[in-house]
Amino acid sequence: MNEQYLSQVRVLSHENAKEASVAVRRQCFSVGQAIEFDSEAPLASALEYVLGALGADIVTGFKRLADRRGVAVDEVEALITGRLNNPLVYLGVVGEKGNPGLEHVSVKVFVSTFAPADTIEEVWQEVLRRSPLVCTFRRAVTLELNWKAAF
Amino acid sequence: MKKPILVGAVLYDPKVSVIWDIIAEYFAHNGCPIDTIFYTNYELQVQALLAGSIGIAWNSPLAWLDAQRQSKGTCRAIAMRDTDRDRQSHFIVRQDSEIESISELRGKTVAVGAKDSPQATLIPIGMLQAHGLEPGRDFQVRRFDILVGKHGDHIGGELEAFRCLASGEAAASTMLDLNWQRWTQDGTIDPSRYRILASTDRFDHCVFTVRSDFPKDLEQQWLGVLFSMQYDNPKHREMMDMEGLKQWMPGRTTGFGPLSEAVAKQRFFEQ
Repeated sequence: MNEQYLSQVRVLSHENAKEASVAVRRQCFSVGQAIEFDSEAPLASALEYVLGALGADIVTGFKRLADRRGVAVDEVEALITGRLNNPLVYLGVVGEKGNPGLEHVSVKVFVSTFAPADTIEEVWQEVLRRSPLVCTFRRAVTLELNWKAAF
Repeated sequence: MKKPILVGAVLYDPKVSVIWDIIAEYFAHNGCPIDTIFYTNYELQVQALLAGSIGIAWNSPLAWLDAQRQSKGTCRAIAMRDTDRDRQSHFIVRQDSEIESISELRGKTVAVGAKDSPQATLIPIGMLQAHGLEPGRDFQVRRFDILVGKHGDHIGGELEAFRCLASGEAAASTMLDLNWQRWTQDGTIDPSRYRILASTDRFDHCVFTVRSDFPKDLEQQWLGVLFSMQYDNPKHREMMDMEGLKQWMPGRTTGFGPLSEAVAKQRFFEQ
């Protein structure tokens, strides 16, 4: 493996155990705790960032490939749903079994386009083949991927 | 740093942990830090309380009875929600049902919650027994054992029991009065199609429990902070709404009669 392709971020804890700062190149963003159960929590959780990253990988990849191939696509939207094996293990509930990891991830992509379905399908397959996160998730969880045209 | 008081709670839904985060934060700010230990069922929590692994347990009424049974009546009930007092369970029937009294459930099927649910199973069956109706002999029980071990904290058993009634597979179903109120208001139950046939005697629900040797000074300090929570304080209200109370009250043991009788008649702890 060539080291020049390594990706690196720096993450710092806060006094407040519910927040971490992530520094990447010239940017910095805050991430909440691993999983968040409070709908009013001010920060996105680490888990939500992971799912968001997968969605971002797919929608940007789709748009980029469609543009290159001259396929007219107005907008691409992804809805990502992750199911954990047992979130109660994360909370340290005595007597719970299993693990707090992701078990199943569903990705539904809505493509706003009038292009023929087979053209979009070709783009879609290429997006999945080239996506770093799709290829990673496929090895780790049950990954369900679908796209649908939206007009 | 002051050593936190360990408080046990049974957790069936991760969202409930948010309530405990708010409570812990409030206690810490008031100089009485607590650490919440979550358990998957009340049996483990009662064991931990009696073994001294935790100082205070947020017990279901059945867990309270179990702690008393195992400690030979030496535990103390120190606090409860206002809404834990004087609850009732209802027997629900269809509006057009010909059944007009409890005794007319003879020969019928009654849908109930989980086998360890005080409100949806033990107390209602106890009421039928008090009217001379024995389960299996005089009426059939259709039980919905959802999340057994959590003593009916999860409403799923009561909801499934109601659905059983709605599908015509049972003549009546049982549920806590608060659930009847909520479900007839939110559209889950159409009150024009279902009615209350009868209600149980009033009973008390959850209660904070300590062992007899829990230090009195710590208890007083802890209760002082708990009772200082005010519903008109927006920070407290969020938690109190989630936990379903408007005021914390002193614990009392006078409201466990119906459950004690039901448990004895049904030999619950002998199973």
